[in-house]
Amino acid sequence: MSPEIVSQLSVGGSTLVLLGGLMMLWRRGVAAHIGAFTFQSVALAATMAMVGWFAGDWQLWAVAVLLLLVKGIGIPLLLKRMGRRFGSERELEPYVNTATSLLIGGLLVLLAYIVTAPLVSVSRLPTRTGMPLAIGLVFVSLFIIISRKKALTQVLGFLMLENGIALLAVLGTHGIPIIVEIGVFLDVALGFIVMQVFVYQIHETFESIDVEQLNRLRE
Amino acid sequence: MSPWLLGPVQAAVALMLAPGLVGAIRWMKARLQSRQGSPPWQPYLELRKLFAKEVVVSSNASWLFRAAPFIVFGSTVTVTLLVPLLTVPLPLGGAGDLLVVVYLLLLGTFFLALAGLDPGSPFGGMGASREMTVAALAEPTVALAIFALAWGAGSTNLGQIASRTLITPSEALAPGHVLAFAAIFLVTLAETGRLPVDNPSTHLELTMIHEAMVLEYSGRYLALIEWAAALKLLVFFSLLGNLFAPWGVASAITPGALLWAVLALALKLLALGGVIALVETHIAKLRLFRVPELLSASFILALLAVTASFLVR
Amino acid sequence: MRALFFLMVSGYATGAAASLVLGTGPLARWTSTLVAVVGAAAGLGLATGASMGGAAFSLEAPDLLASAGGLAFGLDGLGAVFLALTSLVAAPSALYGAGYSRAWDGRPVQRQAGFMLNLFLLSMSLVPLADGTLTFLLFWEGMSLSSYFLVMTEADRPEVSGAGQWYLGMTQMGLACLLGAFLLMQAGGPATFAHLRAAGAMLPAGTRDLVFVLALIGFGSKAGLIPLHVWLPRAHPAAPSHVSALMSGAMIKMGVYGLLRIGLDVLGGGPAWWGALVIGLGALSAVLGVLYALTEDDLKRLLAYSSVENIGVIVLGVGAAFLFQSLQMLPAAAFALAAALFHAVNHAAFKGLLFMGAGAVLHATGTRNMNRLGGLIRGMPWTAACFLLGSVAIAGLPPLNGFVSEWLLFQSLLPGIGAPSPLVAVLMVLALGMLALTAGLAAACFVKAFGITFLAIPRSPEAVAAHEADRSMRTGMIVLAAACLLLSVGSFVIFPRLSTVAAPLVGLPAPGPVVRAGLTLQTPDGLAQMSPVIVTVGLGLVVLVAWLAVKRFASRRPLRVGETWGCGRVVQTPRMEYTSTAFAEPLRRIFAEFYRPTEDVSIDFHPDSRYFVQSISYRSAILPWFDRYLYAPVIARIRFWSERVLTLQSGSVHAYLAYLVAALVLLLGWLVVTGQR
Repeated sequence: MSPEIVSQLSVGGSTLVLLGGLMMLWRRGVAAHIGAFTFQSVALAATMAMVGWFAGDWQLWAVAVLLLLVKGIGIPLLLKRMGRRFGSERELEPYVNTATSLLIGGLLVLLAYIVTAPLVSVSRLPTRTGMPLAIGLVFVSLFIIISRKKALTQVLGFLMLENGIALLAVLGTHGIPIIVEIGVFLDVALGFIVMQVFVYQIHETFESIDVEQLNRLRE
Repeated sequence: MSPWLLGPVQAAVALMLAPGLVGAIRWMKARLQSRQGSPPWQPYLELRKLFAKEVVVSSNASWLFRAAPFIVFGSTVTVTLLVPLLTVPLPLGGAGDLLVVVYLLLLGTFFLALAGLDPGSPFGGMGASREMTVAALAEPTVALAIFALAWGAGSTNLGQIASRTLITPSEALAPGHVLAFAAIFLVTLAETGRLPVDNPSTHLELTMIHEAMVLEYSGRYLALIEWAAALKLLVFFSLLGNLFAPWGVASAITPGALLWAVLALALKLLALGGVIALVETHIAKLRLFRVPELLSASFILALLAVTASFLVR
Repeated sequence: MRALFFLMVSGYATGAAASLVLGTGPLARWTSTLVAVVGAAAGLGLATGASMGGAAFSLEAPDLLASAGGLAFGLDGLGAVFLALTSLVAAPSALYGAGYSRAWDGRPVQRQAGFMLNLFLLSMSLVPLADGTLTFLLFWEGMSLSSYFLVMTEADRPEVSGAGQWYLGMTQMGLACLLGAFLLMQAGGPATFAHLRAAGAMLPAGTRDLVFVLALIGFGSKAGLIPLHVWLPRAHPAAPSHVSALMSGAMIKMGVYGLLRIGLDVLGGGPAWWGALVIGLGALSAVLGVLYALTEDDLKRLLAYSSVENIGVIVLGVGAAFLFQSLQMLPAAAFALAAALFHAVNHAAFKGLLFMGAGAVLHATGTRNMNRLGGLIRGMPWTAACFLLGSVAIAGLPPLNGFVSEWLLFQSLLPGIGAPSPLVAVLMVLALGMLALTAGLAAACFVKAFGITFLAIPRSPEAVAAHEADRSMRTGMIVLAAACLLLSVGSFVIFPRLSTVAAPLVGLPAPGPVVRAGLTLQTPDGLAQMSPVIVTVGLGLVVLVAWLAVKRFASRRPLRVGETWGCGRVVQTPRMEYTSTAFAEPLRRIFAEFYRPTEDVSIDFHPDSRYFVQSISYRSAILPWFDRYLYAPVIARIRFWSERVLTLQSGSVHAYLAYLVAALVLLLGWLVVTGQR
């Protein structure tokens, strides 16, 4: 595989990953959000596999398969179960309406391009062209976490943030040692379980997973 | 064949294919919905019928109402002279580029909206207001998508954009190109009044956009407007087809190459028509106030197309 | 050329004198108008002569106002463009004004209006001719003051005095900034532009930045850039229509002229942030201007906000020129500047036309509220046709001139995407998106403006009774409508001339980059082309062929007239048609976060039961952001301090005598102290 094709493919793969994040801003409803996350994780696994093939690194292949299993299949199943329990309430308007959120997402991507310009110019790897999009995903996930009201969506935003960081690492350094990746996965899994418990508790207390209700705790 | 003669030939081909395209899409939708549907050549029969029918004009309407169909039709036919339908380079390539095409189509929309307001009916006003809203919000996407394509080709000249992909075929799958395609596809849905933005077959007053503006038209005026709408659909499809996948387009003006080009164009039109039919069968019409969300999403796609094009240096 | 200069000056001066001397009847009105038209024609001749190349025009008059340094006049390419623009609008406006001001015959206001109009035209024509600081500022202030008096012409109307106050305040604030800028540039030397150019090269960077910012504020407030635009939507509707046409068509362009003169000519361009700031302000003005124009129901306020939008577009091009020049992309800079200048000329033509049309409507019906108009196309066919042409032009649609300059501006921004700095590239992408959005929204806005005002059924008795404008008003409009068409079709001659003017300003040698190939306009790198002539002719031919074909082949049955489809409803009243507020409703809702409209609904129930409603009253208002968050606090602060100062005005004679004595003592003390040194 020539470096030009790798360059194009990494941009293509990173764009798909970023689009998963932007779909979270666009579509409404728990099912659509879980679908966006699944799409993003599969795209990320494919990109990792592509980089692994180019770099000839079997560890990246292993990480890609692990990612597919855990984040592409496992977590969505768990989330769907959670969604079935809590997802039957009415749609909540996010703090910022959809069209504006999309525009802000676009501006964040442009900001990411400006911020990573020095990084991209220094790097020699052909996959560097996708790095701004990975940083863009990090910004967009942070925006999702702050602007959405449902706890479930915020959990998904956090998971997407982790995806973005993983993508950045892969594109920037062509590899994450499998030990490190397993460690990160365990952290995420632990964090996820803790968050599940929290969401369950919130639902028990308020009969809804609207995070705004948490300020009633002051009373 | 002289290049100047090619212009009218291209326009004639477009005029002849356009109703067939609309008919084909309707037929495909019907079949997908397990209906018999009218035959694909139905729009030709409709046009013939309409030209022969009497014209009824509202007592409130002015000369603008009677002039608007000609302006709409004229501007759309002029666009067919500027678009790479059959050949690259274009016969009138130096006269207009992609921006001219977009704004000529907007001229047609402008006069159609005025014609909707003229009879003084609330449906016309509603259609005009909604149509201008959608058109205005689609503009930034179109501009950015044009520039994403133009940046790659070095010019907004349509012939040059098309030939760029002919010269380097791998360009066709470049992320910037694919994203621009997706963005222009969404804009096509908005501008030509297909689902999920507008339902071309509805006549429920509160769900119409394009239909509401032309509600008062009859006879030959309606024929002209319907034909212009079909032509607009054909223009957008041929842009999608011949800018992103220009194979089949003639580079020399010989009868053989032209025939081949017409065939290739027809195939691309049918393929895109099939996609539209699938899309229309699967999704429901969006509320008017959800349409800006769709257009924002297409704007983001165009934005990503621009950044993908110029940052992969 | 000297002869033309003196003809122009004497034309306007005679017009002013004629208004004062010849009374308040038709004789005075027509004399001052015709002499003004002669002056305008001379101005146009002078400008064309200067822009053809040849010897530059200059005239020194050191004995006039000798104690302050004397007056100096000179006309180079840049000044010629703006002088031509002014004269282009001046002649039709003066003609139009002759008919419009017939209503003031026999009243003293006729004298004042005629005098001030000529004075306004004179000072506005002399601003681009100024070659020294004193000359420039003198005629600048003359332009502001005479236009203030013109705005206050119909002072019996309630909103006029408020508008005048805002206008006066903003112009004086602008003047203060300009004084500061000129003083800083001068750095003690003589007050000629030649010296300023030499001194400008040697000023430290900090001073240059300060001068630029002051000039931007001063000239920006005259041009109507956000956030200094607040006087525009107040003053333009309050002024008589030919004055609004002149103010919108020519006067606000003087702000752009000043910015170019100081920024590019005298200071010679600056760092990249200058261009970026100007682009940002321009893009913001463009989008915000059109957004506010969309929700307006008052026809003239809509046109005023639309002027803000177009000035934003022009300034966007100017900013791109500044930016490209600082990045040493000189051909791109010249192209962007030429495109901006072309848009300025085009805007003068179609905005003047539109304001004249609005004036004719106001004259015929007595109202500017679009919700009370409608159906005027029948009673005022000429006005309607001219307004339609102006609407198509300002919406930036082919085949008219607005489209040509928009195309040029779009193409001029494209090279910026390839700039080395990613910040610049991102800025260009955003500017492109905002320009496209503006174009789309402007089209929507003018469908509303023309459609609601002129089409469908009249919504009030005044609209039913509307009569066509008289011959002089019609002539003024037709001249500008023809100008719009000529500017488009003749763009392959006019635009290369503008490019020649723009090139030396950004540092390229005289003929500048090649922008024309036969009948087509092209970008400097030759990659994008467009031919307005071919497009216009092609469109015309196609429409003609279509019409002939339909006539030949379609049914011969006669046209039948019937009722508008009403879903089975029998009667159609004006209450059932779309209103201007209704037309803008979807966009208002979509941009609700931006507009933040206040809504007030009050329902009167029947006293016996809450199930029956007697009346519902709904009121909604949009207060622009800047008024609410910027100007209201500032004005409150000023009022607070004025009240403090008010205590000095106690009314007691003893207090005033005490002030006099205190001032005298202080002065003597100061003289003693400085004398001792």
